[in-house]
Amino acid sequence: MAKLPTPQELIATRPPFPKAHWLDVKPEFAPGCFCYPAKKETMELLHMPNPHEWDPAADDWGLPENWEQVLCDAFAERLEKHRSLKLFMDICVRCGACADKCHFFLGTNDPKNMPVLRAELLRSLYRRDHTMLGKILGKAVGARSWDKSVVKELFYYAYQCTECRRCSLFCPYGIDTAEITMIVRELLHEVGLGTHWIMDPVKNCSFTGNHLGIQPHSFVEIVEMLADDCETVTGIRPKTPFNKKNAEILFITPSGDVFADPGIYTFMGYLLLFHELDLDYTLSTYASEGGNFGSFTSFNMAKKLNAKMYAEAERLNVKWILGGECGHMWRVINQYMDTYNGPAPANMIPPVSPVTGTPFANAASTKMVHIAEFTADLIYHNKLKLDPGRNDHIITTFHDSCNPSRGMGLLDEPRYVLKAVCNNFVEMPENTIREQTFCCGAGSGLNTEEIMELRMRAGMPRGNALRHVQQQFGVNHMACICAIDRATLPPLANYWAPGVTVSGLHELVANALVMTGEQKRTMDLRQEDLPGVDEDEADGREGGE
Amino acid sequence: MNLLEYFRNDKEDILRLWTGAVYAASPFETKGLLRTVTDPFGNPGADMIREAAGALYDAVAGEETTAADVKSAMERFVKLRAVQQGTPSQALGVFYLLKPVMRERLLPHCSTPDDVNDYLTAESRLDSLALLAFDMYMAARETLAESRVKEIRNQHAQITRWARAFRGGSFIAG
Ligand code: SF4
Ligand code: SF4
Repeated sequence: MAKLPTPQELIATRPPFPKAHWLDVKPEFAPGCFCYPAKKETMELLHMPNPHEWDPAADDWGLPENWEQVLCDAFAERLEKHRSLKLFMDICVRCGACADKCHFFLGTNDPKNMPVLRAELLRSLYRRDHTMLGKILGKAVGARSWDKSVVKELFYYAYQCTECRRCSLFCPYGIDTAEITMIVRELLHEVGLGTHWIMDPVKNCSFTGNHLGIQPHSFVEIVEMLADDCETVTGIRPKTPFNKKNAEILFITPSGDVFADPGIYTFMGYLLLFHELDLDYTLSTYASEGGNFGSFTSFNMAKKLNAKMYAEAERLNVKWILGGECGHMWRVINQYMDTYNGPAPANMIPPVSPVTGTPFANAASTKMVHIAEFTADLIYHNKLKLDPGRNDHIITTFHDSCNPSRGMGLLDEPRYVLKAVCNNFVEMPENTIREQTFCCGAGSGLNTEEIMELRMRAGMPRGNALRHVQQQFGVNHMACICAIDRATLPPLANYWAPGVTVSGLHELVANALVMTGEQKRTMDLRQEDLPGVDEDEADGREGGE
Repeated sequence: MNLLEYFRNDKEDILRLWTGAVYAASPFETKGLLRTVTDPFGNPGADMIREAAGALYDAVAGEETTAADVKSAMERFVKLRAVQQGTPSQALGVFYLLKPVMRERLLPHCSTPDDVNDYLTAESRLDSLALLAFDMYMAARETLAESRVKEIRNQHAQITRWARAFRGGSFIAG
């Protein structure tokens, strides 16, 4: 008789009751599970430690000879520097409240993707060298030694955490696994392990200002093209002020909004809004990247890339900085900027809206205002003429990007704006939004195409909630305020809820914005026909005040 | 009782056994959470199994249903299997785990040749549904492949437009 495996044998990825302890089951580096490694020359240019060629799928990762010493020393140094890290290592009681709160765990069923066990990967090493019991009792109290497979495991799971902080919301002690992941990534960099998708943008940002390394003159040309497109849609060519000294406001946004679809439509939205307000502002070719890819690398790299903002604010002698729709850019500004590079240059003052006179007291220290707050304030004071009817063909929901929502509490302002510019707004289920929002599955430098299937399983809880409102309420659009989301959510929506489009908030604002002297709007910023608007009807809508 | 009635009577039990067998393929440490957390958004994976299992079972039993309805109930589950780590046979083999459970719980009730015939027809329906799932699995993998290509294009979309305009000479460099 033919000897074939039974279905049970076929589907068992591992025996139902593994003989091995969970800590001893090692990850398999199959294609699609890991990001491509950073190039040696990139790491050299950035003066990163131990640059070398390596392949995550290979047995030997080419670690430096003294790798264990390097890692132990680096870990000890971080424990000394970050009191929080030491606390996080010490106080977890293994209550399990965080266990099922991570989207990676929900999508993969991999125990090491439970935040508590993700942290335990490092904690077990901590126990051996930094706790009395661990030193004496070793394995009996969950301590373990470094070996090369442990390094691989740390890499595997540090890049299956999007540093979204959802788990910390549920931890009674506030243990922030995201910060543990950040430290693990830092440690790995000490032995030359980084990923291409993160380090290439870090290099480009370091040398040319933006993540794709577009030269200043080309950057200006690309923005000019977007202004041309604005004119095609509205009949008005918005100003594109660059490097203007003594402007009141410096505007900084992620460069993804200048280069990528559909982010560019959000950028066009900014240009049109600022033009309509006749804002005294400037863009910069030096600080042409709001996103901080350094924050996925190490605290020092984040600090270095962040420094550009204040340096440019000082050089251009602006009063304050307005920041575009971005996620990690705001996490860095809100959580770290003051310590990294503060205080702000002396020429800067606490921001006040030039249109409404509202002082942004929350930004008194950093001198940086989020555009959702800025626009919400405009709408609240009735300073914008809006025709939300132009967005009537969409039924939109709102994705709370992890960083602005959990990282800085920006929950109501974007909703306030969205509801003012769209008549049809539906929330996703309560435990998937606001502070409890589910990550897009590809933040913190994971939105690279080689791990698309990993991203789809990690983004499953978000995709699932989106699909729910699509089926229940006919939702066909999802707005967000993060440039990485604008890149990661379209494939996620296309997989889990096909038919839902994704855009930034200010794309919708500009679509609804009735501008002074504009031509009849027959299309939206994507140059797609506005349904139900024929040329004659549009006449009635023409013009502002 | 005819076979359909046995199917209806034993539905809860059989589905519990089947989903248990599906969970058994997951690592031991995670099974408790998968089984016990019932919030459809807090534990979406389990909700997907639940939805798929119910519809699949009814279709196998011979209840009134359409291929489109069963497909839509199985879709989320199949899509999840399509992006979880493992081979295609691991992803879709779970459907065949229903067979041994059915044989254990339902086949003994089949005493006449007609009953056995009905039973075999039910198993054949399961085979057809697994084939439907295979179509969905492949469509999901196609979507993934397309997404990869599209994403690379989107990342540089505006730069490509700029380069074209620039090279075409219709754009004057500033
Ligand atoms: S920070 Fe987010 S991705 Fe990382 S372990 Fe916590 S929930 Fe998971
Ligand atoms: S919720 Fe906090 S204390 Fe409880 S297991 Fe998770 S990290 Fe540890």
